[in-house]
Amino acid sequence: METNIKSKTLDEFKTITGTMINPAVQEWKDNGGKVIGYFCCNIPDEVMTAAGILPLRLRGTGSTGTELSDAFYSSINCSFPRHVFNMALNHEFDILDGLIVPNSCDHIRRIYDNWLRQLDIGFLEMFNLPRKVEEPQVQWYKDEVHLLVEKLEKQFGVEITEEKLKNAIKLHNENRRLLKQIYELRKVDNPPITGGQMIAVIVAGTAIPRDKYNEMLKELLEDLKGAEGIKDHRARLMVLGGILDDPEYMDILEDQGGLVVTDSICFGTRLFWTEVSEEGDPYEAIARYQIQQRPTCPRSYGDQPKRAQYLLDMIKEFKVDGVIGERLLFCDSWVVEHYMNDQDLKEAGVPFLKLDREYILSGKGQLRTRVQAFLEMLGGK
Amino acid sequence: MDEKKERSLSRIREELAMYEPVVELLKLEPGEMGHLQLPIVENIVEQHKGTIECVEEGKTFLASQFTNPVEILTAMDVHWYFHIQQLFAASGSGGGLHTDEDLEGADKLNIPRDCCTLIRLGHYLQVAGLYPIPTAYLSITEPCDSIAGWHAAFMHHPDWRNIPVFAPDPPYHTDERAIDYYARQMREMVDFITEHTGQTLDMDRLRETVEETNKGYALWMEYNEIRRSSPTPHSYTLPLSCFFQINTLGAGDPKKTLWYKDIVADAERRVKENKPEFPNQKIRVFWYDIQPFYFGEIVSWLEQEWGGVIAMDMVSYCPYELIDTSTEDSMFQGLAKRAFQHGPMVHQGRGLAENVIYDITRIVKDYKIDCVIFPGHMGHKDMAASSSIMRETCRELGVPFLYIGLDVADHRYTTADEIKDRISQFFTAMGLG
Repeated sequence: METNIKSKTLDEFKTITGTMINPAVQEWKDNGGKVIGYFCCNIPDEVMTAAGILPLRLRGTGSTGTELSDAFYSSINCSFPRHVFNMALNHEFDILDGLIVPNSCDHIRRIYDNWLRQLDIGFLEMFNLPRKVEEPQVQWYKDEVHLLVEKLEKQFGVEITEEKLKNAIKLHNENRRLLKQIYELRKVDNPPITGGQMIAVIVAGTAIPRDKYNEMLKELLEDLKGAEGIKDHRARLMVLGGILDDPEYMDILEDQGGLVVTDSICFGTRLFWTEVSEEGDPYEAIARYQIQQRPTCPRSYGDQPKRAQYLLDMIKEFKVDGVIGERLLFCDSWVVEHYMNDQDLKEAGVPFLKLDREYILSGKGQLRTRVQAFLEMLGGK
Repeated sequence: MDEKKERSLSRIREELAMYEPVVELLKLEPGEMGHLQLPIVENIVEQHKGTIECVEEGKTFLASQFTNPVEILTAMDVHWYFHIQQLFAASGSGGGLHTDEDLEGADKLNIPRDCCTLIRLGHYLQVAGLYPIPTAYLSITEPCDSIAGWHAAFMHHPDWRNIPVFAPDPPYHTDERAIDYYARQMREMVDFITEHTGQTLDMDRLRETVEETNKGYALWMEYNEIRRSSPTPHSYTLPLSCFFQINTLGAGDPKKTLWYKDIVADAERRVKENKPEFPNQKIRVFWYDIQPFYFGEIVSWLEQEWGGVIAMDMVSYCPYELIDTSTEDSMFQGLAKRAFQHGPMVHQGRGLAENVIYDITRIVKDYKIDCVIFPGHMGHKDMAASSSIMRETCRELGVPFLYIGLDVADHRYTTADEIKDRISQFFTAMGLG
């Protein structure tokens, strides 16, 4: 499913998302800039921006195998870290000046341990995330941000003042507002952008300087406002799950006639649906945003009722006909979450399809068949 | 009592019916090991009777996790049961009557099978109404993603949704900041228990309890020192019971301290007289994971076929420290460390791989280990992602390493025969035995 939209900016976003070290990263590096890789939504990337360092969220885009990393991971480990670590062992991330790994899940956290022992990198940091979402955890996270700032200052000889941090928050909030404006356009009956295109836009934002990203988002918004909406969809879908960064996956769902109009995924609304407060202590603001204000993923303990409500709100706001819950194989966080989602959505009368997948898209035929059957069950046009 | 409550006690009653005659038998015919086995079985019986009494008489009680300090629960004089223990013991899944029934029940739950079977089984027991519903529930968020998810699912169940829950949140690192953070959560836990059971914490009682468990831990450490000797004095059951005895009901009871004294004495005697429980030991194995439900079958074969002895394992390895009881703060800090740094799985699974390297290095050197077997339970995905680090550590130590890949609960995943084959091939290839 394609829109009729003619947007050079959208094409540029697709190009950036289609590779890991995109031209903007290379240009940044060629100009003497520093680049720090990181994983997951729960790393405060504003801190890197405030330090004048480019935060680059790592993906396995372009990976063709896990021959090297299989020696360090097991067959019961998620394919996402296996592909990323394979690329690292292939020296495809040598451009990085540093890496920050959170203990976000059992698979990703071991990238830290394996990277430490197998690869040289100037700065390698384990960011210690709490699981609960209460006041002591906000304070813990705030201390973690302070520690990170101290370490970055020492390692890179930079000064991260509160003013710089506040400016970075404003810049990143602008990202969030612009993305939310695009999502507003998806609420209408005939949205101008597909789910596949949207994921390309969001992923690109984690791989280029944020000021440049804002300019591109503004251009895209202009292009979208004049675009003709999509009319030939059979059903409006929401995608719910973890690390999904491949536009082609969404394209397959949409080729069957389902139009993805919203999501709760790691490269989706969980990144931008709420904003960091621009008032008061910026450390406190970032911590509160990350622990309590941002839509969480299942690693956050005690927040499931709030997540379930977020899901139901999204369904209502975006007039969703059915929800697709995707999960990377061996992910224990999403396995239980989807078990609960299944029950909650049944209670709410919303059709739900659970799909397990590998990180690199495979089994396309099977995926098409399952989505077709789901769309038929939805009784679409 | 209503039908639901009755059903929630059914497995516990079954187990009680099984163990009460064992108590009588051990009293009549203690044999050589009876004095060590009897207190373990009596403890299970006492625990179960307490739970039944609470449910039948509507008394307050808790469900808890094995990592939450039993000293606090004891000092607050509140009854509790560990629902993970139900999984291993009272459910019958420990190789008993209900194993296959429970596994089939878990398979029907609409939870993919790559999810940890312990979690699926635990959830099945809840859905099947086989856990007594407590007044309040003490959960935990570590050592793995599935544990955190499991507790979330627990609280999502309609019968449990309104049960108050408190989950301490272990930090990833182990520095002073982390200890203080966790110690504060231990205090929060006390407030939570008071709020929901009405029981208060008397600090003098806590001190007495901790001082008594300190004695138990000190004796456990002494026992583990004796296990360094070759041949090792006991087979695998008694060492594993060391963890069970101190972490269940009756913590801080001098009777339990006496049990540790007895096990130390028995081990000393066996070493002095060169009369190990299992003779002709040839291969000293470090089993670096929790034990499968069907471990008895594996170990009997290992001992008889190869002269292999479990010289050390993850659960009975004791990196604990004694707690300074001089102040309230020092007690809570000590309990925090015991809870999130030292216990099995939380020690190895949570946190950096340094813990794994430290364990393997220390144990291989201290216990004259001939080989390290990492069974690799299919739910321990973080450990699986550390397996190359384990292998490298073993290589540096010059000790062979085997990664099996099994399911501690489900014998269908890798059958006992397949496990035996893997071990035999490994021993043969490495020239052991």
